[in-house]
Amino acid sequence: MLVVLGAGFASSSTGFLDGANLANIGMQSTILLLLALPMTLIMLTEGIDLSMGAVLTLACVVLAAIAVKTGSVTLALAGALALGAAFGFANGALVAWLGLPPFVVTLGTLGIASGLALVTTGAQSITGVGDDVVYFYAGKLAGIPVPLVLGAAAYLAMHGLLYHTRFGTYVFALGGNREALRLAGVRVNAYLIGVYVLGGAMAGFAALLLTARMSAAHPTAAIGMEFDAIAAVAIGGTSFEKGNGWLFGTVLGVLLVGVLRNGLNLLAVPSSLQVAAIGVLIIAALVIESFKNT
Amino acid sequence: MTAVAAAVGPAHGGEQAAPLFELRGITKSFPGVRALDAVSLEIRAGEVHVLLGENGAGKSSLMKVLCGAYLADQGEFFHRGEPVAIRSPADARTLGIAVIFQEFSLVPYLSVAQNIFLGREPRGKIPGSVDHKRMHARARELLDRLGLEVDTRALVHTLGVAQQQLVEIAKALSQEARILVLDEPTAALSERETERLFSIIQRLQSQGVAMIYISHRLAEVFRVGGRITVLRDGRKVGSLLPASTTPDELVSMMVGRKVDTSYARRYCESPGEVVLEVKGMGAVNGVSGVDLVVRAGEIVGLSGLVGSGRTEVARALFGADRVTAGEVRLLNRSREGGPDRAVRSGMALVPEKRKQEGLALIRSVADNILLASLKQIFPRGWFSPAKGIGVASERIRQLRIATPGPRQMVQFLSGGNQQKVVVAKWLSADAKLIIFDEPTLGIDVGAKEEIFALIDQLVQRGAAVLMISSELSEVVKVCDRAYVMRDKRVVGELARAELSETNLLRLAMHDA
Repeated sequence: MLVVLGAGFASSSTGFLDGANLANIGMQSTILLLLALPMTLIMLTEGIDLSMGAVLTLACVVLAAIAVKTGSVTLALAGALALGAAFGFANGALVAWLGLPPFVVTLGTLGIASGLALVTTGAQSITGVGDDVVYFYAGKLAGIPVPLVLGAAAYLAMHGLLYHTRFGTYVFALGGNREALRLAGVRVNAYLIGVYVLGGAMAGFAALLLTARMSAAHPTAAIGMEFDAIAAVAIGGTSFEKGNGWLFGTVLGVLLVGVLRNGLNLLAVPSSLQVAAIGVLIIAALVIESFKNT
Repeated sequence: MTAVAAAVGPAHGGEQAAPLFELRGITKSFPGVRALDAVSLEIRAGEVHVLLGENGAGKSSLMKVLCGAYLADQGEFFHRGEPVAIRSPADARTLGIAVIFQEFSLVPYLSVAQNIFLGREPRGKIPGSVDHKRMHARARELLDRLGLEVDTRALVHTLGVAQQQLVEIAKALSQEARILVLDEPTAALSERETERLFSIIQRLQSQGVAMIYISHRLAEVFRVGGRITVLRDGRKVGSLLPASTTPDELVSMMVGRKVDTSYARRYCESPGEVVLEVKGMGAVNGVSGVDLVVRAGEIVGLSGLVGSGRTEVARALFGADRVTAGEVRLLNRSREGGPDRAVRSGMALVPEKRKQEGLALIRSVADNILLASLKQIFPRGWFSPAKGIGVASERIRQLRIATPGPRQMVQFLSGGNQQKVVVAKWLSADAKLIIFDEPTLGIDVGAKEEIFALIDQLVQRGAAVLMISSELSEVVKVCDRAYVMRDKRVVGELARAELSETNLLRLAMHDA
C-alpha cells in the first residue's frame, strides 16, 4: 500500500512538488481525515455511512446560519455537532434496533440531509460567517495552521479510543464476531449506535473547518465526500468485513486521495474523472490486499 | 484409567453431598418438535460427564438451556442443592457455567488477551480505558496454566484451531468456570493436540472443575468419561459408569426406536446397469477414499454423523467442489466439470438447504419447476409461457403439490411442498442419477411419506438415487443398501439384510 502511495506521489509533477501546494494538500485533507477516521470505525463494524457528506453539508448550513445570526462560534459549533450527532443516532438506531443494512439506511439519510440542505437555504449559499469562524481554517496555533492541529488531535483521540478503550475493543468485536460480544454480556446495540453517532458528530465538527475554508456554507459543498472517505479507509487497509483494520492506514489513505485529487486538479482533470481515478485506486488497493492474503 | 476412576467419586447410593449442579425435569419445545422431555442431569465436581446421543437427540438443546441461551419451558436447576434460576447467559455465567461450542466465540482481529477478557476488561485510570498491562499479565498466567505458549498479543485469527480452542478454555477459566461444557472438542484436533487437551482436562478435574463432554468418539468417551448419560429423542435413556457398559450397549441405547412400518417399499430385486461408479475419490472439501456404486432402480443410502462428509461427497460428485483424486464415472463416462456439465450428463442434486440452494423463493412454482429443463422444453430458445405453464401444471398434478396455482410464489408453500417443487424440477430434467441430501429435513410426517413415494417412483422409472440422510430409521426403511461415512471417508457398506439402525450407528461411530 505504501508502494501505491509512493507511485501516487511520483505521478503528478507539474507544479505539484511546490511547497505551498503540498501544504495546501495537508490542509484540505484534514477535512477528509475528520470524516475518514470515524468511517474507519464504522467500517470495522462491517457497516458503512454513506450520509457523511450530506450531513457535513447540512451541518455547514446550520453552522453558518447560527454564526451569522448570533456571531457566536461556540453556539454555531454546538449546533453543528448536535445535528451531526442526531443524524448519527438515526443511522445507528435503524441499523442496531431494526437490523436494517447500513448501506441502505445511510443512503436514505444521505437523501434526507442533502434535501434538507437545499430546501432550508433555497439553494443559496450562506455568506458572511465572520472571522471567528474563518480562524479555524486560516489561523495558526503556535505557528502551525489550525486545521493541521485539529487533524492531529483528532487522529490522536481516535487512536486512543480505538486501541486503548473498551469502546475500541468492542468496535473490532462488532465486526469480527458480533455474537461473541453479545454472549459476553456487552450491550451490542449501544456501542453500534455509538459508532454512528461518532461519525455524525465528527461530520458536524468537520463543518467548522469546511465553512471556515470557504467562508460560507454552500448547500452542495460536501456532497460525495463520503466517497473519498470510504476510499481512503479502504485504500488504507481496512477491509469491509470481519473487523480487520488499521487506523494509521486511513491517514495514509486520506493523504493518497488528497494527493491524487490535487495532482489531477493541477492537470485540469475534471472532477468526474477524478472520481474515476479514485475508483481505480480503490480496486488496485483491494487487489493488492487479496494477493497478500492468498 | 486410574485417574478417571479416581475422579468418579462415590457411585450409586452414598451421595454424601449434593452434586455441584443438577438439572431436573427440563422440558423444551419448539414449534412442532419437543427437543427435550423431562431430562434430568447430575453434574459432580471434578467429574467428566459424557453426553451421548444421535443427531437431534437433544444434546445441544440441553446445553443451550444450561448456558442460558434457551429458556426451558419446564424444569428446575439446583446449585449445590439450592434452587437457582437460569434465565440469561449472565445467570449461567454467575453460576460458573461456561460452554465451548464447536464454532468458537472468538473475535479474529483482536488479540488473545482481548478475546479472553472480552466484556470484562480490566479498567485503566481514565474512565473507559483498558489496563493493557494487567490484562496481558493475567492472560499470560492463564495461558501458562494451560501450557499454551502463544503470545498474548497475537491476533486470534493467526492461531491454529487447537490453539484457538485453548484460548476459549482460558476464557472460560478466567470467568472462574466451575462447569465447563465441551462440545465435540476433538473434532478438529490432531492426535497430539487431543492428548494435550486430555491432560488439560485431567488437570482441571483435579482442580474440582466439572466437565460435560459431548462426543461421538466412543474411544474417547471410555477414556475420559467418569459418567455417561445417553439421550434419545429428547429423553434421557440412562446414566451409567463406563466401567459397567460396553460400546455396543451404548449404541443400542442411542438407537432402539420402534421401526415405523407404515410405508412399505418394494425393495429393488434386480438392479439395472451401473449408473454411478466412484473409486477412491478425493476432493478439495476434505473427503477422500470414497468408493460407491449406484445402479438403476436402486435407492442407495449415505449415512453418517453430522460432519462425516456426506454433503461434501454430494457436492464433489455434482461438481460443486473440485475433485482432486480418484475416478467418478456416470453411465460409464468419466464425469468432469462443474454442475452445469453434471446436469447435462443426467445428474441431479436436491440439496439440503433447499431455500438457499434449491429454490428461487420469490419466483413462481412454475418457474422453479422449469428451471433445470428449459433447454429440453424449449429447444429453440424461444420461451412460450403457455407451454411452460402447461408442463409445470402437469408436474404439479403428478406430484400433488399443494399450491393455489402454478404462478404462486414458492416461498409461500409449506416445507414439504417446497421440497416437492425441487423434486419436480429434476423430474422434468429427466435425470438418471439423483442425489438427495436430507430430503425430509423440516418436513412433517405426512409429507415425508409422499416424498418417499416420489423417490420410489423415480427409481421405478429406471433412475438411480443416492440418498443422504441423518435419520437412521429413514435409511433403514427406504434404502436398498447403504454406505456409511466417518471422518470424511466411506468406512463401510451395508446390504439390505444387514441394514439396521444399530449397524449404521456403530459404523458411524466406532474408532478403528
